[in-house]
Amino acid sequence: MKLAKIIMMTLLVSAIGITVLAQEKLTGQKIIENVYYRETGEDATSNLTMTLINSRGNERIREIKQFGKDYGKEEKSIMFFLSPADVRNTSFMNWSYDEEGRDDDQWIYLPALKKVKRISSDSKSDYFMGSDFTYDDLGDRHPSEDTHKLLREEKLNGEDCYVIESLPKEKGYMYSRTVTWVIKDKWIGMKKEFYDEDEDHLKTLSVEKYDKIDGYWVILHSVMHNVQKDHRTIMNLKNVEINIGIDDGMFTERMMKRGI
Amino acid sequence: MAAKTIKIIVMLVALVSVNNAQDLFLSGYARTYLGALTTGESEYSIIQNTFDLNLEHSRGNVYFKVNPFLYHYSDKDLELGFRQAYMDLYFDSFDLRIGKQQIVWGKADGVFITDIVSPKDMREFLLPEFSEIRDGVTSLKLNYYSGSSTFEVVWIPVFTPTQMPDDNSIWSVKPDYPLPYSLDYSNADVKDKLSNSEIFAKYSLLSSAIDFELMAAYSWDDDPTFHSEKIINQTTGMVDSVMLKPEHHRLSTLGGSFSTTIGPAVFRGEGAFYNGKHFQSINPLIADGTDEKNYLHYLLGVDYSIGDLKLNGQFIQQAILDYNDYLMNDEFENTVTFLAAMDFLRETLNIELFSYIGLNDGDALIRPKLTYDFVDGFQIMVGANLFIGDEGQFGRFDKNDMVYTKIKYSF
Repeated sequence: MKLAKIIMMTLLVSAIGITVLAQEKLTGQKIIENVYYRETGEDATSNLTMTLINSRGNERIREIKQFGKDYGKEEKSIMFFLSPADVRNTSFMNWSYDEEGRDDDQWIYLPALKKVKRISSDSKSDYFMGSDFTYDDLGDRHPSEDTHKLLREEKLNGEDCYVIESLPKEKGYMYSRTVTWVIKDKWIGMKKEFYDEDEDHLKTLSVEKYDKIDGYWVILHSVMHNVQKDHRTIMNLKNVEINIGIDDGMFTERMMKRGI
Repeated sequence: MAAKTIKIIVMLVALVSVNNAQDLFLSGYARTYLGALTTGESEYSIIQNTFDLNLEHSRGNVYFKVNPFLYHYSDKDLELGFRQAYMDLYFDSFDLRIGKQQIVWGKADGVFITDIVSPKDMREFLLPEFSEIRDGVTSLKLNYYSGSSTFEVVWIPVFTPTQMPDDNSIWSVKPDYPLPYSLDYSNADVKDKLSNSEIFAKYSLLSSAIDFELMAAYSWDDDPTFHSEKIINQTTGMVDSVMLKPEHHRLSTLGGSFSTTIGPAVFRGEGAFYNGKHFQSINPLIADGTDEKNYLHYLLGVDYSIGDLKLNGQFIQQAILDYNDYLMNDEFENTVTFLAAMDFLRETLNIELFSYIGLNDGDALIRPKLTYDFVDGFQIMVGANLFIGDEGQFGRFDKNDMVYTKIKYSF
């Protein structure tokens, strides 16, 4: 899982390069690459609230303060869990690398254990904090892992979109295919449908609010709906700040233990 | 003493109520813990109510935390105290922490090798939660940071030993001595003076390839050694009993630990060399019944996941160097730990199995546990502690098999 991308790429969208890209003959592959490789700023911080809603309508809320920084070939991020009370002061740090095939480095600090533990990052199909988002869903899946096909162009919620179908190259992957609606001039995946291994509709991601902050498009409100189990996860982003010069010392064992 | 502590806690709570909530952060939990033995007449092994409070305040580069706790038992006096009470001073490249604090070192899970700074509370053997098994110690801790490296020095002015169970506790272990004995605690205390203070130092690195720690300590052995004094029967002229005198000894330790990721697995190791540890003898001819030996304690472990199933295994060996057959401890003591854990229902239900397995005596402690987060911050836990075998560090508690439930509300 690449939390740096969760913070830096999934949520932030640059308008840079749109003119050039618009003049090219766009394929499904190219469109998804443009979404994945978009410019995101040097660093970012925000407060993330995840609301997990089950089929009976019961809600559970997780609040996180997150920081991310792009070092070129390396991205670092750190998350501090603010609620619920029993996970408060837990922190999670991730260093991810552009180098192909190189796994992320990850650590977790559990206040009850009072130590920083290195953990394995080989869990891209795991669900993030009990939500309906897997780590792959949050932006970690590289475009080369799927075959992308431009199905059509159509309007969605008043936005001109490309509709892309993506099929995994890996056999037995948790999704048999996904279909993404990408906004033409913003390179945001505005809607995404996920189909399970039996090719039945599993989940739908809907982006409901986005805005331009500090010159970058930011997704502020999105909902992932598991249609089979009727779960929902609402992701809300607040206090977004970009390019504020986050100190390198933020991404250290010292800060994991100290918290914010 | 108890009345005084209650007053302090009441004052702290009052302070919270009159203070601006933005300044003072309040958190904690209330918990009910009920355990029953599965052997004999299913007596309750523990009925405990806990209240644990954290008060935190920060202003600029200064931070303060106090963590009072209260244990209420059905059959014992109310127990109150401060788990931690310290202040932090943050500077650009170093931090200073002063006060009562829990300090945890090393990479091992559930095993104490280089993790010897904070003494342990063994009144309920290894069963309490990790946050409760370590006692806070009044100390001064300095951390200096340089890139991904950390240098840490801890000075403990007053020695605090391991908390042992009362004599009438089901967790009490009687000295295993071949003759009748009596106890004399006259040498058991380490006097509170500067020359008796303890010092610990650690260098740690957290990097992409590997995390490691190197440590050194000049401390006291938290566990006492039972020295013996032979008592000669005046009539027979033979030794017919002994006087056992528990005493703590100085201990010098060098150690280290590491963890690294190889593919989908995380490998961990930890080891320490203890210079001058005292061991007890079964040979009555040995002067005062003890012998001083150097000692190694090390561990290798791996964390691995199969789908959602998280697995962890550790092999631990304790080795007495220059061994003599008359020592009570084995030359090598081998232990394995195993953990399997899995989350269900969007991480609200967790099923876990943790076990210690003693390879020398074929004994074990098996701890299945089920935890359900009924709503956020409200947790119900049911579990069991099963001791297998007749002897060894786990088998000796064979009659203490128990089932338990804990209900915890966090705020």
